[in-house]
Order: sequence, then structure tokens, then C-alpha cells
Amino acid sequence: MSAGMSSGTSAASGTPLLEVTDLAVEFRTPDGVVRAVDGLSYRVEAGRTLAIVGESGSGKSVSSLAVMGLLPDTARITRGSVRLAGTDLLAMSRKQHRAHCGEQVAMVFQDALAALNPVHTVGYQLTEALRARRGLSRDDARRRAVELLDLVNVPNAKARVKEYPHQFSGGMRQRVMIASALAMDPDVLIADEPTTALDVTVQAQVLRLLAEIQAERQMGLVLITHDLGVVAGVADDVTVMYAGRAVEQAPVVPVYTTPAHPYTRALLRSIPSASGTGRLPVIPGRPPSPAAMPSGCPFHPRCDAVRDVCRTEVPPQAVPAEGRMSACHFAADIMAGRDPAPDGGGSHE
Amino acid sequence: MSEPVLEVRDLVKHYPVRNGLLRRSVGAVKAVDGVSLTLERGKTLGLVGESGSGKSTLARVLVGVETPTSGEVLVDGEDVTRLNRAGRKQLRRDVQMVFQDPYTSLNPRMSVSEIVGEPFAIHGTDPADGRRAAVGELLELVGLDPDHANRYPHQFSGGQRQRVGIARALALRPKILVCDEPVSALDVSVQGQVINLLEDLQAELGLSYLFVAHDLGVVRHIAHDVAVMYLGRIVEQGREADVYDGARHPYTQALLSAVPVPDPSVRLVTASTPLVAPASGVATEAGAATGAGLTGSIGAIVLEGDPPSPVDPPSGCPFHTRCWLAPTLPEVQPDPIPSYPPTDRPDAGLRLVPAVCETDVPALVPRPGTGSAGAPAEAPGGAPAGASHVVACHFARELVAHRVEV
Repeated sequence: MSAGMSSGTSAASGTPLLEVTDLAVEFRTPDGVVRAVDGLSYRVEAGRTLAIVGESGSGKSVSSLAVMGLLPDTARITRGSVRLAGTDLLAMSRKQHRAHCGEQVAMVFQDALAALNPVHTVGYQLTEALRARRGLSRDDARRRAVELLDLVNVPNAKARVKEYPHQFSGGMRQRVMIASALAMDPDVLIADEPTTALDVTVQAQVLRLLAEIQAERQMGLVLITHDLGVVAGVADDVTVMYAGRAVEQAPVVPVYTTPAHPYTRALLRSIPSASGTGRLPVIPGRPPSPAAMPSGCPFHPRCDAVRDVCRTEVPPQAVPAEGRMSACHFAADIMAGRDPAPDGGGSHE
Repeated sequence: MSEPVLEVRDLVKHYPVRNGLLRRSVGAVKAVDGVSLTLERGKTLGLVGESGSGKSTLARVLVGVETPTSGEVLVDGEDVTRLNRAGRKQLRRDVQMVFQDPYTSLNPRMSVSEIVGEPFAIHGTDPADGRRAAVGELLELVGLDPDHANRYPHQFSGGQRQRVGIARALALRPKILVCDEPVSALDVSVQGQVINLLEDLQAELGLSYLFVAHDLGVVRHIAHDVAVMYLGRIVEQGREADVYDGARHPYTQALLSAVPVPDPSVRLVTASTPLVAPASGVATEAGAATGAGLTGSIGAIVLEGDPPSPVDPPSGCPFHTRCWLAPTLPEVQPDPIPSYPPTDRPDAGLRLVPAVCETDVPALVPRPGTGSAGAPAEAPGGAPAGASHVVACHFARELVAHRVEV
């Protein structure tokens, strides 16, 4: 499971801040047990940004909820470990897990309006954790709330801590979310689609803010997104998820220049771009339902390089180059831009 | 240049803001404030802007859901704002809408055949060979299996639902489709399928699209012409290539430069560590291919703050409160003006902008360098005839030097 993500190890000293190994999450549904995440591994180092990319239903959000101990009761972690600075969170009770996480890992959600409580002032919510865990007095909490809003560049912070979420614009609300995530001075920040609901000009402000804060505090940042443009702009490492699995893991540049999985390649091609007129290359079909997972490679029904072996055998996590992982039978071929050998030519690889 | 199928002239839509016991009107949300557009037959006009720019309101006025406060909307030369009830019903056949959210725009209690066939029932125009056959044809046209006509919306995926919405919009053989963010609720891999479908339908049926979206990449792909809206006004308009490759308005430039590009050599932020892993031969090669400056950040224009409220838009040029260019101009007046929105906070930043930006609303004038050089001063409200690329900025000429690479 050490495949992928090794590029950061040389720079980091010993244990990564957050290390997820072989994580599997199942949901009980009326249609039976459904596997939402299946064997996901990644690591986050101090001061680096890991982007987890995937479409809806790929398991990218569920995996981060598992890290935070925030899974709903219908979900169960069946395998794997989540190590925070070396300590396995999954070996703890749920209460311990959350307490541990609350100190060191914070999360920013996509929909800031839904994530903030409409009947409390912004200042109250910003310092809720501080008052509960650190026993700050009301005066200290208010002072700290102003500091936090200042930190995320909310103008006129002193007056605005007394306001309610509805009085903030979308971008400002997301800044409040980030401020409250920073209140406990976390080592790792997980941001789940933090800018998806925002306009592009505001998205640029928020991404820049996140990156500045991260660099200043040397936080590890996990950015969950579907936007490959955002990933290219801010990530150091990339994990591409499809149908609950990591299909490709690599530093950001090679993911874009020499994708090693057909899904990554197809995603990149399907972005409407400047040069693009004429037909947009698309990925046929749609992501599989977790309740009806195809045999073999989960991507094979949509893959443009599919061979017989893909239909029957789940691909191993291949290492087509140092620091890279691709869950494809023909990872090396795809990375080199070659077509895999046609069927009937004997053994694969 | 082909003939226009839709023309909008100086369209205004204000929503009154009422307050107090007597519900007196105390102001207005100036959602659309003097917009002129031309949609050519068989072409796609992309309308971009941030939330609150008025692009969705404009779309709703065009399909007749909202009545404009003033201005004209001409469909095939006929002013539809003066129509009576019967006339409006006819208009709705010609101008149909595809909605953003395929989950809420389809009635969950109706089967797909009922949804797609409903326009026939409403307009009392049963097709010659029966409604069932027509529905089957429409479903086939949008790439759905006609055998699935009796299924319900929840049995379809997001992309398929959007196809159902498109089939419904096509039922009455409209001339114009107004698409309000038709792909923004869809996954990337499905977005492309719907965009391709819309393009195929346009080629096959000669449809004209008004394509409202905030995703500039999608608009660039599908649109022939592009109009950029800010606070209810059009600030720049022209052929797709002109606007994207030669943006002149400071807002358009900021908007384009804020779009994240799927290219890791263009960093939104300075990388924390060198991006090119020295160990990996592939990565080094990539670094060489994209040239130097991999670790640097691009000169992206990041605008300050949020767009102002359309209830109380800034005087003069609506963009002057966030404009990155205006404070750098030599025409800047010496007296500081207060920041927007007004605060009594002493440390509120004071921005200096040229007086003309604060006092005069800039008209849409031909882009400098195209045709009538000089004398762009007196251009009437709409886009001057003959000029395909127009910009509403007092200092459009200075902007040539500030071109951003996108």
C-alpha cells in the first residue's frame, strides 16, 4: 500500500501528518450493503496540498467524513487505518476519535450557509470549540473571534462578529467557515469542495487565502474537488477516485502531462478548453451505481482502452513510475501514450 | 452576418423594494438595467456573469416568465413585450427554456412521457401522428430510449434527466432555446455529453441558443458570441474569439484570469515546494515542455470583495468600486473617495479612481483598434451597428496594454 505519494516522503521528516491506509467504508441501504470507499490510501505532509478528485458518488466526501469520525450511523468502516501523527484514530472509541480530531483536524464544508447555524452570531459560532474545549471566557472568545475574522480578511471584523450568517455574502460565509476551522489551530485542514458554490472571482480569493494560511502555518491541506482547474492551480499531489477507489495517485504535474489511468486521461480531455471547438470528447455512459458495481475494473464499461482482462480482473495498484500509482492493467502503456496490446496477444502487462 | 432571430433593445427589469406598513416602494433591485443583445439565427449567444449580475432575470424575461419594466424584446422582428395573452402563448412555443437543475425542474409524479407530452396538452396542438409517437421521437432525438417513456424522473441519472428537460423544451419545435446553466449541476464526464447533444440539435434543427452560464470554459466551447454582464449591464460583447482572446474590459479580464486552468504550470498560488520532482524523469520532461516559471504564480487579477448590491449600485461605471485598473490610471483625481459600501470605519480603504468612472456610465463602444479609431465618445445605448466587439469602459484604450494571458 505504499504505492504512490512517495514524492513527498523525501521532503518530509518521518511520519506524515495524516496517513490513511486501505480504508473501506460500507453503507447499509434498503438495497443491501453498498461499498462507498474500497481500499483508499493516501498521506498528507506538512505544508503540502493533496487534492482528491472525483465525480459525485466516487467516495471522496465519504472518505473524509470517515477520517473525521463524522460518518452517519448507517455507515461502517470495515477495513483500514487512519493515522494522525502516528496515532490510529480508528482504534479509538468514537468519542475519543472526535476529541482527537477536533484538536488537530478541521473541516471546511461546501455549503457554508447550511453549515453555519442561522440563529447564532458568527462570533459565537467561531469560538464555540474554543469555549467548549479551552474554556475561554466570553470576553476572550470575542477577542479571538475578531482575530480569526481578521485572519481571513473579513473587513470590519469587530462589527461583523455580532452579525448573523445571512448578513454575509457567499464568499464571506466561506471565509467564516475557514476561520472557524482555524480556531483550534489544526495541523490538517480538510476542505470539501470549498469553492464550488462560489463565483470564479470569489473562488480565486478564497483559494488564495487558503494557500496563504496553509503556507504560513505549514498545515497539511486535503482539498476535495471535482474541478481539475482548481487542482492544477493549488495541489501538490493528486488522488483521482472512481467508484470508491483511488485509480491514480501522483504529483500534480505528471497527472496532467502523462496521466497513467484512462479515467484521468478521459477527464482531462473532457474539459471544454480554449482550443476546443467541434465535438467535445466525452466519457460514454455514467459512473456505476455502488449497488451494481461492474466486474473486474470498475471503469471498464466506459474505458476507451478496454481489453478482455479488464472485464474479469480487478487491476492491481501498479507503479508505472517512481512516486506514481495507477490502478490499471495497462498503466505503463497509458502513461506512455501507447495503446495496450490487442487481445489474443497472450499475457497482459 | 446572418439575420437576428432575437433582438433585445434597452431592456430594463426592476423589482420594487417595499417597506413599511403601506408597502411603499422605497427603491428597486435593478436586476437588468438597460441591456441590448442580438441573437443570430442558428447561433449561440453565451451570457456570462457572476451571481447577481442579472443574467438569469434576463433569461426569464426572454421566455416571458417576467414582464420587463421597459425596453423591447423582438422575436423575428415582433415586439413580444406588447403581446396580449394569446400572443404570449404563441411566444412560448417559439422560445422555450432548459433549466439548471434537472432534479427540481421535472415533476416527480409525472412519467417521462407525460412530462415531454405536456406542452402538447397545454397548447392543444396534438401532433399529426399522435402524442405517443411524438414523445418517442423526441426521446430518440435527445438520445434516450423511447421504451423508457413510462419511467419516472427518479429512475434516471442527472444527465438523462437533463435530456428529458431538453426533449420537453423541443416538443413545440421552438426557434429559440434559452438554456439557464444547463450543465452546471452535472458531473464533468456527463457535462460534455449534454453539450454535444445541444450542438447536434442546433445543427440538425437550426435552433438558436441563449446560453446562460457562469462556467467560462463551457461558454467558450459552445457559444459563437459572448456577452459579459455585471450588475445588470453588459460590459463587453463580441465574437467568442474576440472576447476570450482580446478581452478589453477590466472586469472581463479579471473574470477570465480567475478561471482555474487545468494546467499545473499555471499556478493560482505560489507552490510550497518545487513542483517538479527531481527523481521522476517524466516530470522533468514535463517541466521542460512547459518551460520555466513552474514554481511562480501567474499574474492573475484577483478582485477585491464581492459584487455590490443591485439595490444600490455604484454611481457611474458599476464596476468602478472593484476595478483594478482605475486606481492605476493617470487621470485619478486627487481627492479620495470613500470605499464601497460606505462605512464609518476609519480604516476603510480609500480608493482613488478617475472622476469620470464615478460620475458617468460608460456606453458600449467599439473596441479600440477595430474600425473607427478615435471618437468612440458618442455611441447610442445599444451596440453600434457594424461593430462586433464592444466594450463599456471609459478607458478601453488604455486596456490594450494590460492584456492578460488566459
